[in-house]
Amino acid sequence: MKNHLFHVTGTHCPSCKILIEDILQEQDLVDKVTVNLKDETIAVVTKNEQDTNELMQSLGALIKPNGYSLSLEKLAVENKNNDIIWQALPIGMALLFLFFLLQRSGILNFGIGGQTTPTTSFLIGLIASVSSCLAIVGGLILSLSAKISQDDISDKKTIVLFHFGRLAGFVILGGLLGLLGEIIGINFTVSAILGLLASVVMLWLGLNLVGVFAKSKITLPSGIFKFFRRIEHKTLAPLLVGLGTFFLPCGFTQSMQIAALSSGSFVTGSLIMFSFALGTFPVLALLSFGSASLAHSKYAPLFFKTAGIVVIGLGSFALLGGLAGLGIIRPLFNI
Amino acid sequence: MVAILIGGVILLTGNSRSGDINSAGSNVVIKDGIQYITIDARGGYSPQRSIAQAGIPSKLIVNTNGTYDCSAALVVRQANYQEILPATGKTEIDIGIPKAGEPLRGTCGMGMYNFEVNFD
Repeated sequence: MKNHLFHVTGTHCPSCKILIEDILQEQDLVDKVTVNLKDETIAVVTKNEQDTNELMQSLGALIKPNGYSLSLEKLAVENKNNDIIWQALPIGMALLFLFFLLQRSGILNFGIGGQTTPTTSFLIGLIASVSSCLAIVGGLILSLSAKISQDDISDKKTIVLFHFGRLAGFVILGGLLGLLGEIIGINFTVSAILGLLASVVMLWLGLNLVGVFAKSKITLPSGIFKFFRRIEHKTLAPLLVGLGTFFLPCGFTQSMQIAALSSGSFVTGSLIMFSFALGTFPVLALLSFGSASLAHSKYAPLFFKTAGIVVIGLGSFALLGGLAGLGIIRPLFNI
Repeated sequence: MVAILIGGVILLTGNSRSGDINSAGSNVVIKDGIQYITIDARGGYSPQRSIAQAGIPSKLIVNTNGTYDCSAALVVRQANYQEILPATGKTEIDIGIPKAGEPLRGTCGMGMYNFEVNFD
Protein backbone atom coordinates (compact mmCIF):
# COMPACT_ATOMS: atom_id res chain seq x y z
CA MET A 1 0.00 0.00 0.00
CA LYS A 2 1.23 3.44 -0.88
CA ASN A 3 -0.45 6.82 -1.14
CA HIS A 4 0.20 9.20 -4.02
CA LEU A 5 -1.11 12.67 -4.70
CA PHE A 6 -1.18 14.25 -8.17
CA HIS A 7 -2.37 17.58 -9.46
CA VAL A 8 -4.70 17.36 -12.41
CA THR A 9 -5.67 19.83 -15.11
CA GLY A 10 -8.61 19.69 -17.46
CA THR A 11 -11.26 18.74 -14.92
CA HIS A 12 -13.84 21.15 -16.27
CA CYS A 13 -16.97 19.29 -15.31
CA PRO A 14 -18.41 17.51 -12.31
CA SER A 15 -18.68 14.29 -14.33
CA CYS A 16 -14.91 14.38 -14.88
CA LYS A 17 -14.57 13.02 -11.36
CA ILE A 18 -16.50 9.91 -12.28
CA LEU A 19 -14.79 9.50 -15.64
CA ILE A 20 -11.28 9.68 -14.16
CA GLU A 21 -12.17 7.47 -11.23
CA ASP A 22 -13.74 4.89 -13.56
CA ILE A 23 -10.72 4.77 -15.84
CA LEU A 24 -8.08 4.62 -13.13
CA GLN A 25 -10.01 2.22 -10.92
CA GLU A 26 -9.84 -0.37 -13.71
CA GLN A 27 -6.06 -0.61 -13.33
CA ASP A 28 -4.87 -3.66 -11.44
CA LEU A 29 -2.22 -1.91 -9.43
CA VAL A 30 -4.67 0.75 -8.26
CA ASP A 31 -6.53 0.13 -5.06
CA LYS A 32 -8.42 3.36 -4.57
CA VAL A 33 -8.80 6.61 -6.52
CA THR A 34 -10.33 9.82 -5.21
CA VAL A 35 -10.62 12.89 -7.40
CA ASN A 36 -10.97 16.17 -5.59
CA LEU A 37 -12.40 18.67 -8.05
CA LYS A 38 -12.07 21.64 -5.76
CA ASP A 39 -8.35 21.21 -5.17
CA GLU A 40 -7.83 19.65 -8.64
CA THR A 41 -6.00 16.72 -7.13
CA ILE A 42 -6.16 12.96 -7.47
CA ALA A 43 -5.31 10.78 -4.51
CA VAL A 44 -4.27 7.28 -5.57
CA VAL A 45 -3.71 4.34 -3.29
CA THR A 46 -1.70 1.57 -4.94
CA LYS A 47 -1.62 -2.04 -3.87
CA ASN A 48 2.16 -2.32 -4.16
CA GLU A 49 5.07 0.01 -3.51
CA GLN A 50 5.00 2.07 -6.68
CA ASP A 51 7.31 4.82 -7.79
CA THR A 52 5.21 7.99 -7.85
CA ASN A 53 6.85 9.30 -11.01
CA GLU A 54 6.34 6.07 -12.92
CA LEU A 55 2.77 5.85 -11.74
CA MET A 56 2.14 9.40 -12.88
CA GLN A 57 3.47 8.53 -16.36
CA SER A 58 1.34 5.43 -16.76
CA LEU A 59 -1.88 6.85 -15.28
CA GLY A 60 -1.37 10.15 -17.08
CA ALA A 61 -1.21 8.31 -20.42
CA LEU A 62 -4.55 6.65 -19.67
CA ILE A 63 -6.49 9.86 -19.13
CA LYS A 64 -4.62 12.03 -21.60
CA PRO A 65 -6.99 11.16 -24.51
CA ASN A 66 -9.81 12.69 -22.44
CA GLY A 67 -7.93 15.93 -22.05
CA TYR A 68 -6.59 15.55 -18.51
CA SER A 69 -3.00 15.76 -17.49
CA LEU A 70 -1.22 14.94 -14.28
CA SER A 71 1.60 16.71 -12.54
CA LEU A 72 3.32 16.68 -9.21
CA GLU A 73 3.30 20.43 -8.87
CA LYS A 74 0.25 22.60 -9.20
CA LEU A 75 0.35 24.27 -12.59
CA ALA A 76 -0.62 27.88 -13.05
CA VAL A 77 -3.33 27.68 -15.67
CA GLU A 78 -5.48 30.55 -14.46
CA ASN A 79 -3.79 33.19 -16.56
CA LYS A 80 -3.95 31.14 -19.70
CA ASN A 81 -7.69 30.63 -19.26
CA ASN A 82 -8.26 34.32 -18.77
CA ASP A 83 -6.38 35.12 -21.96
CA ILE A 84 -8.54 32.73 -23.93
CA ILE A 85 -11.78 34.20 -22.70
CA TRP A 86 -10.69 37.63 -23.92
CA GLN A 87 -10.06 36.16 -27.36
CA ALA A 88 -13.30 34.19 -27.33
CA LEU A 89 -15.48 37.09 -26.24
CA PRO A 90 -15.06 39.29 -29.34
CA ILE A 91 -15.29 36.29 -31.69
CA GLY A 92 -18.46 35.05 -29.99
CA MET A 93 -20.03 38.51 -29.95
CA ALA A 94 -19.16 39.01 -33.63
CA LEU A 95 -20.82 35.69 -34.54
CA LEU A 96 -23.94 36.63 -32.57
CA PHE A 97 -23.98 40.05 -34.19
CA LEU A 98 -23.79 38.47 -37.67
CA PHE A 99 -26.61 36.12 -36.76
CA PHE A 100 -28.92 38.92 -35.64
CA LEU A 101 -27.88 41.07 -38.60
CA LEU A 102 -28.88 38.24 -40.93
CA GLN A 103 -32.27 38.01 -39.21
CA ARG A 104 -32.87 41.73 -39.49
CA SER A 105 -31.65 42.02 -43.07
CA GLY A 106 -34.88 40.59 -44.41
CA ILE A 107 -32.96 38.34 -46.82
CA LEU A 108 -34.74 35.34 -45.33
CA ASN A 109 -38.21 36.79 -45.72
CA PHE A 110 -38.99 36.05 -49.33
CA GLY A 111 -42.27 34.25 -49.60
CA ILE A 112 -42.69 30.80 -50.98
CA GLY A 113 -46.13 30.54 -52.46
CA GLY A 114 -48.26 27.75 -53.78
CA GLN A 115 -48.66 24.17 -52.66
CA THR A 116 -46.35 22.71 -50.08
CA THR A 117 -44.47 20.02 -51.95
CA PRO A 118 -41.37 18.10 -50.86
CA THR A 119 -39.30 20.53 -52.95
CA THR A 120 -40.73 23.64 -51.30
CA SER A 121 -40.40 22.09 -47.86
CA PHE A 122 -36.74 21.32 -48.60
CA LEU A 123 -36.23 24.99 -49.54
CA ILE A 124 -38.10 26.11 -46.43
CA GLY A 125 -35.84 23.81 -44.40
CA LEU A 126 -32.77 25.47 -45.91
CA ILE A 127 -34.09 28.90 -44.92
CA ALA A 128 -35.21 27.71 -41.49
CA SER A 129 -31.73 26.39 -40.75
CA VAL A 130 -30.28 29.91 -40.84
CA SER A 131 -33.37 31.67 -39.50
CA SER A 132 -34.16 32.60 -35.95
CA CYS A 133 -34.96 28.92 -35.37
CA LEU A 134 -31.22 28.40 -35.44
CA ALA A 135 -31.20 30.15 -32.07
CA ILE A 136 -32.98 27.27 -30.48
CA VAL A 137 -32.33 24.13 -32.55
CA GLY A 138 -28.84 25.14 -33.68
CA GLY A 139 -27.91 26.52 -30.31
CA LEU A 140 -28.98 23.33 -28.62
CA ILE A 141 -27.03 21.21 -31.11
CA LEU A 142 -23.93 23.36 -30.79
CA SER A 143 -24.00 23.28 -27.00
CA LEU A 144 -24.65 19.55 -26.82
CA SER A 145 -21.98 18.65 -29.40
CA ALA A 146 -19.41 20.87 -27.76
CA LYS A 147 -20.24 19.45 -24.36
CA ILE A 148 -20.11 15.87 -25.60
CA SER A 149 -16.75 16.50 -27.25
CA GLN A 150 -15.49 18.05 -24.07
CA ASP A 151 -16.69 15.18 -21.94
CA ASP A 152 -15.78 12.08 -23.87
CA ILE A 153 -14.36 10.62 -27.00
CA SER A 154 -17.18 8.95 -28.90
CA ASP A 155 -18.67 12.25 -30.01
CA LYS A 156 -18.94 11.38 -33.71
CA LYS A 157 -21.11 8.37 -32.98
CA THR A 158 -23.36 10.38 -30.69
CA ILE A 159 -23.77 13.12 -33.30
CA VAL A 160 -24.57 10.61 -36.05
CA LEU A 161 -27.20 9.04 -33.80
CA PHE A 162 -28.66 12.48 -33.06
CA HIS A 163 -29.06 13.32 -36.76
CA PHE A 164 -30.45 9.89 -37.48
CA GLY A 165 -32.97 10.35 -34.67
CA ARG A 166 -33.95 13.73 -36.05
CA LEU A 167 -34.43 12.57 -39.66
CA ALA A 168 -36.18 9.32 -38.70
CA GLY A 169 -38.32 11.17 -36.16
CA PHE A 170 -39.47 13.67 -38.78
CA VAL A 171 -40.35 10.83 -41.17
CA ILE A 172 -42.38 8.91 -38.60
CA LEU A 173 -44.00 11.84 -36.79
CA GLY A 174 -44.71 13.63 -40.08
CA GLY A 175 -46.39 10.48 -41.37
CA LEU A 176 -48.42 10.14 -38.18
CA LEU A 177 -49.52 13.78 -38.46
CA GLY A 178 -50.77 13.10 -41.97
CA LEU A 179 -52.45 9.86 -40.97
CA LEU A 180 -54.04 10.81 -37.67
CA GLY A 181 -54.55 14.52 -38.15
CA GLU A 182 -55.43 16.46 -35.06
CA ILE A 183 -54.91 13.56 -32.68
CA ILE A 184 -51.25 14.30 -32.15
CA GLY A 185 -51.75 17.97 -33.01
CA ILE A 186 -48.85 19.96 -31.69
CA ASN A 187 -49.80 21.87 -28.62
CA PHE A 188 -48.58 25.45 -28.60
CA THR A 189 -47.96 25.66 -24.88
CA VAL A 190 -46.21 22.29 -24.67
CA SER A 191 -43.88 23.33 -27.47
CA ALA A 192 -43.22 26.70 -25.83
CA ILE A 193 -42.38 25.00 -22.53
CA LEU A 194 -40.03 22.59 -24.32
CA GLY A 195 -38.41 25.63 -25.89
CA LEU A 196 -37.88 27.20 -22.47
CA LEU A 197 -36.40 23.95 -21.23
CA ALA A 198 -34.03 23.84 -24.21
CA SER A 199 -32.94 27.43 -23.57
CA VAL A 200 -32.24 26.71 -19.92
CA VAL A 201 -30.14 23.70 -20.97
CA MET A 202 -28.31 25.91 -23.46
CA LEU A 203 -27.60 28.58 -20.87
CA TRP A 204 -26.36 26.01 -18.42
CA LEU A 205 -24.11 24.30 -20.99
CA GLY A 206 -22.97 27.68 -22.29
CA LEU A 207 -21.88 28.85 -18.85
CA ASN A 208 -20.19 25.51 -18.41
CA LEU A 209 -18.31 25.82 -21.72
CA VAL A 210 -17.18 29.34 -20.92
CA GLY A 211 -15.89 27.99 -17.64
CA VAL A 212 -17.91 30.14 -15.26
CA PHE A 213 -18.28 27.11 -13.05
CA ALA A 214 -14.62 26.20 -13.31
CA LYS A 215 -13.59 27.83 -10.06
CA SER A 216 -16.58 26.85 -8.00
CA LYS A 217 -17.79 23.75 -9.75
CA ILE A 218 -21.42 23.35 -8.95
CA THR A 219 -21.29 19.76 -7.91
CA LEU A 220 -24.54 17.91 -7.90
CA PRO A 221 -24.65 14.62 -6.04
CA SER A 222 -22.42 12.34 -8.07
CA GLY A 223 -25.23 9.79 -8.33
CA ILE A 224 -27.09 12.11 -10.69
CA PHE A 225 -24.00 12.52 -12.84
CA LYS A 226 -23.42 8.80 -12.96
CA PHE A 227 -26.96 8.49 -14.23
CA PHE A 228 -26.44 11.17 -16.88
CA ARG A 229 -23.13 9.73 -17.94
CA ARG A 230 -24.71 6.36 -18.36
CA ILE A 231 -27.42 7.67 -20.71
CA GLU A 232 -24.93 9.92 -22.49
CA HIS A 233 -23.12 6.84 -23.63
CA LYS A 234 -26.17 4.86 -24.57
CA THR A 235 -27.65 4.89 -28.03
CA LEU A 236 -31.11 5.93 -26.97
CA ALA A 237 -30.39 9.39 -25.52
CA PRO A 238 -29.05 11.07 -28.69
CA LEU A 239 -31.77 9.37 -30.77
CA LEU A 240 -34.45 10.74 -28.46
CA VAL A 241 -32.99 14.24 -28.38
CA GLY A 242 -32.91 14.18 -32.20
CA LEU A 243 -36.51 13.08 -32.33
CA GLY A 244 -37.44 15.64 -29.68
CA THR A 245 -36.34 18.51 -31.93
CA PHE A 246 -39.57 17.84 -33.84
CA PHE A 247 -41.46 19.45 -30.96
CA LEU A 248 -39.18 22.43 -30.39
CA PRO A 249 -40.82 25.76 -31.15
CA CYS A 250 -39.88 27.01 -34.59
CA GLY A 251 -42.36 28.78 -36.82
CA PHE A 252 -41.06 26.98 -39.91
CA THR A 253 -41.32 23.53 -38.33
CA GLN A 254 -44.82 24.33 -37.09
CA SER A 255 -45.95 25.56 -40.53
CA MET A 256 -44.62 22.37 -42.07
CA GLN A 257 -46.41 20.30 -39.46
CA ILE A 258 -49.66 22.02 -40.41
CA ALA A 259 -48.98 21.19 -44.05
CA ALA A 260 -48.26 17.57 -43.13
CA LEU A 261 -51.39 17.49 -41.02
CA SER A 262 -53.65 18.80 -43.76
CA SER A 263 -52.16 16.42 -46.33
CA GLY A 264 -54.24 13.62 -44.80
CA SER A 265 -51.84 10.89 -45.84
CA PHE A 266 -48.97 9.11 -44.11
CA VAL A 267 -46.71 9.17 -47.17
CA THR A 268 -47.24 12.85 -48.01
CA GLY A 269 -46.97 13.97 -44.40
CA SER A 270 -43.79 12.04 -43.92
CA LEU A 271 -42.31 13.27 -47.22
CA ILE A 272 -43.01 16.90 -46.30
CA MET A 273 -41.41 16.61 -42.87
CA PHE A 274 -38.47 14.55 -44.15
CA SER A 275 -37.69 17.03 -46.94
CA PHE A 276 -37.88 19.85 -44.42
CA ALA A 277 -35.50 18.09 -42.02
CA LEU A 278 -33.20 17.31 -44.96
CA GLY A 279 -33.16 21.01 -45.81
CA THR A 280 -32.05 21.86 -42.30
CA PHE A 281 -29.42 19.11 -42.30
CA PRO A 282 -26.44 20.88 -43.98
CA VAL A 283 -26.27 23.70 -41.43
CA LEU A 284 -26.99 21.48 -38.44
CA ALA A 285 -24.42 18.90 -39.62
CA LEU A 286 -21.85 21.66 -40.08
CA LEU A 287 -22.54 22.89 -36.54
CA SER A 288 -22.29 19.49 -34.90
CA PHE A 289 -19.48 17.82 -36.85
CA GLY A 290 -17.67 21.13 -37.16
CA SER A 291 -17.72 21.55 -33.42
CA ALA A 292 -16.51 17.98 -32.93
CA SER A 293 -13.52 18.49 -35.20
CA LEU A 294 -12.66 21.88 -33.72
CA ALA A 295 -12.92 20.31 -30.29
CA HIS A 296 -10.11 17.92 -31.23
CA SER A 297 -7.92 20.55 -32.83
CA LYS A 298 -5.33 22.74 -31.16
CA TYR A 299 -7.93 25.51 -31.04
CA ALA A 300 -10.08 23.46 -28.67
CA PRO A 301 -9.88 25.77 -25.62
CA LEU A 302 -10.73 28.82 -27.73
CA PHE A 303 -13.50 26.92 -29.50
CA PHE A 304 -15.17 25.79 -26.28
CA LYS A 305 -15.20 29.31 -24.86
CA THR A 306 -16.40 30.88 -28.11
CA ALA A 307 -19.11 28.25 -28.47
CA GLY A 308 -20.08 28.94 -24.86
CA ILE A 309 -20.52 32.66 -25.54
CA VAL A 310 -22.53 32.05 -28.72
CA VAL A 311 -24.71 29.52 -26.89
CA ILE A 312 -25.31 31.89 -23.95
CA GLY A 313 -26.35 34.62 -26.39
CA LEU A 314 -28.70 32.36 -28.35
CA GLY A 315 -30.01 30.78 -25.15
CA SER A 316 -30.89 34.15 -23.58
CA PHE A 317 -32.54 35.21 -26.82
CA ALA A 318 -34.60 32.01 -26.95
CA LEU A 319 -35.46 32.20 -23.27
CA LEU A 320 -36.65 35.82 -23.38
CA GLY A 321 -38.54 35.13 -26.62
CA GLY A 322 -40.14 32.01 -25.18
CA LEU A 323 -41.27 33.84 -22.06
CA ALA A 324 -42.74 36.61 -24.23
CA GLY A 325 -44.46 34.02 -26.43
CA LEU A 326 -46.08 32.51 -23.36
CA GLY A 327 -47.18 35.97 -22.25
CA ILE A 328 -45.11 35.83 -19.07
CA ILE A 329 -43.05 38.90 -19.92
CA ARG A 330 -43.59 41.69 -22.43
CA PRO A 331 -41.75 41.18 -25.71
CA LEU A 332 -38.29 42.70 -25.41
CA PHE A 333 -37.25 42.65 -29.02
CA ASN A 334 -38.46 42.58 -32.55
CA ILE A 335 -35.74 41.29 -34.79
CA MET B 1 -19.89 39.72 -19.91
CA VAL B 2 -23.59 39.40 -19.09
CA ALA B 3 -23.69 43.17 -19.11
CA ILE B 4 -22.28 43.21 -22.64
CA LEU B 5 -24.84 40.65 -23.74
CA ILE B 6 -27.71 42.64 -22.27
CA GLY B 7 -26.25 45.77 -23.84
CA GLY B 8 -26.25 43.99 -27.20
CA VAL B 9 -29.88 43.02 -26.80
CA ILE B 10 -30.85 46.59 -25.92
CA LEU B 11 -28.91 47.82 -28.93
CA LEU B 12 -30.81 45.43 -31.14
CA THR B 13 -34.18 46.42 -29.73
CA GLY B 14 -33.40 50.10 -29.42
CA ASN B 15 -33.14 50.70 -33.12
CA SER B 16 -36.15 48.58 -33.98
CA ARG B 17 -38.10 49.45 -37.05
CA SER B 18 -39.12 52.74 -35.57
CA GLY B 19 -40.17 54.12 -38.93
CA ASP B 20 -42.86 51.50 -39.01
CA ILE B 21 -45.26 53.21 -36.62
CA ASN B 22 -48.61 53.68 -38.25
CA SER B 23 -50.17 56.78 -36.81
CA ALA B 24 -52.88 57.70 -39.27
CA GLY B 25 -54.32 54.21 -39.11
CA SER B 26 -54.36 53.48 -42.83
CA ASN B 27 -54.60 49.83 -41.87
CA VAL B 28 -57.75 50.50 -39.86
CA VAL B 29 -61.12 50.52 -41.61
CA ILE B 30 -64.60 50.82 -40.12
CA LYS B 31 -67.24 49.07 -42.17
CA ASP B 32 -70.85 48.39 -41.13
CA GLY B 33 -70.07 49.33 -37.54
CA ILE B 34 -67.15 46.92 -37.26
CA GLN B 35 -63.55 48.06 -37.05
CA TYR B 36 -61.06 45.98 -39.05
CA ILE B 37 -57.37 46.25 -38.20
CA THR B 38 -55.16 44.69 -40.83
CA ILE B 39 -51.72 43.30 -40.02
CA ASP B 40 -49.37 41.69 -42.54
CA ALA B 41 -47.44 38.72 -41.24
CA ARG B 42 -44.23 37.62 -42.91
CA GLY B 43 -40.80 37.87 -41.35
CA GLY B 44 -42.42 39.92 -38.62
CA TYR B 45 -45.62 41.91 -38.33
CA SER B 46 -46.38 45.10 -40.14
CA PRO B 47 -47.33 47.70 -39.11
CA GLN B 48 -45.67 47.02 -35.82
CA ARG B 49 -47.75 49.68 -34.10
CA SER B 50 -51.21 50.80 -35.06
CA ILE B 51 -53.74 53.13 -33.53
CA ALA B 52 -57.43 52.30 -33.66
CA GLN B 53 -60.59 53.49 -31.97
CA ALA B 54 -61.81 52.14 -28.69
CA GLY B 55 -65.41 51.19 -27.99
CA ILE B 56 -66.36 49.63 -31.34
CA PRO B 57 -66.64 45.90 -32.08
CA SER B 58 -63.31 45.09 -33.71
CA LYS B 59 -61.64 42.39 -35.69
CA LEU B 60 -58.03 41.72 -36.49
CA ILE B 61 -57.28 40.66 -40.04
CA VAL B 62 -53.94 38.92 -40.39
CA ASN B 63 -52.66 38.53 -43.94
CA THR B 64 -50.19 35.81 -44.74
CA ASN B 65 -48.45 35.44 -48.06
CA GLY B 66 -46.02 32.54 -48.28
CA THR B 67 -45.46 32.92 -44.55
CA TYR B 68 -43.66 29.98 -43.00
CA ASP B 69 -41.56 31.74 -40.39
CA CYS B 70 -42.27 32.44 -36.74
CA SER B 71 -44.82 35.12 -37.57
CA ALA B 72 -47.13 32.33 -38.81
CA ALA B 73 -47.31 31.01 -35.24
CA LEU B 74 -49.51 33.78 -33.90
CA VAL B 75 -50.41 34.34 -30.27
CA VAL B 76 -52.86 37.06 -29.23
CA ARG B 77 -53.25 36.57 -25.50
CA GLN B 78 -56.08 39.05 -24.94
CA ALA B 79 -58.20 37.35 -27.57
CA ASN B 80 -57.18 33.93 -26.28
CA TYR B 81 -55.85 33.14 -29.74
CA GLN B 82 -53.04 30.68 -30.50
CA GLU B 83 -52.89 29.27 -34.00
CA ILE B 84 -50.54 28.49 -36.83
CA LEU B 85 -51.79 30.68 -39.65
CA PRO B 86 -52.22 29.24 -43.15
CA ALA B 87 -49.13 29.95 -45.25
CA THR B 88 -51.18 32.15 -47.56
CA GLY B 89 -54.52 33.64 -46.68
CA LYS B 90 -56.53 36.03 -44.53
CA THR B 91 -57.31 35.17 -40.92
CA GLU B 92 -60.00 37.00 -39.03
CA ILE B 93 -59.72 37.21 -35.24
CA ASP B 94 -62.50 38.66 -33.13
CA ILE B 95 -61.06 40.96 -30.48
CA GLY B 96 -64.35 42.12 -28.97
CA ILE B 97 -64.85 45.77 -28.02
CA PRO B 98 -61.45 47.23 -27.13
CA LYS B 99 -61.18 49.66 -24.23
CA ALA B 100 -59.17 52.87 -24.45
CA GLY B 101 -55.67 52.63 -23.02
CA GLU B 102 -55.56 48.84 -23.15
CA PRO B 103 -53.27 47.96 -26.04
CA LEU B 104 -53.68 44.68 -27.86
CA ARG B 105 -50.46 42.73 -28.25
CA GLY B 106 -49.67 39.95 -30.64
CA THR B 107 -46.49 37.94 -30.70
CA CYS B 108 -45.21 34.94 -32.56
CA GLY B 109 -44.76 31.60 -30.82
CA MET B 110 -41.05 32.04 -30.15
CA GLY B 111 -41.59 35.64 -29.10
CA MET B 112 -39.19 37.18 -31.58
CA TYR B 113 -41.72 39.24 -33.51
CA ASN B 114 -44.55 41.29 -32.08
CA PHE B 115 -47.05 44.01 -32.84
CA GLU B 116 -49.18 46.34 -30.79
CA VAL B 117 -52.49 48.04 -31.44
CA ASN B 118 -53.29 51.03 -29.25
CA PHE B 119 -56.87 52.17 -28.77
CA ASP B 120 -57.98 55.69 -28.02
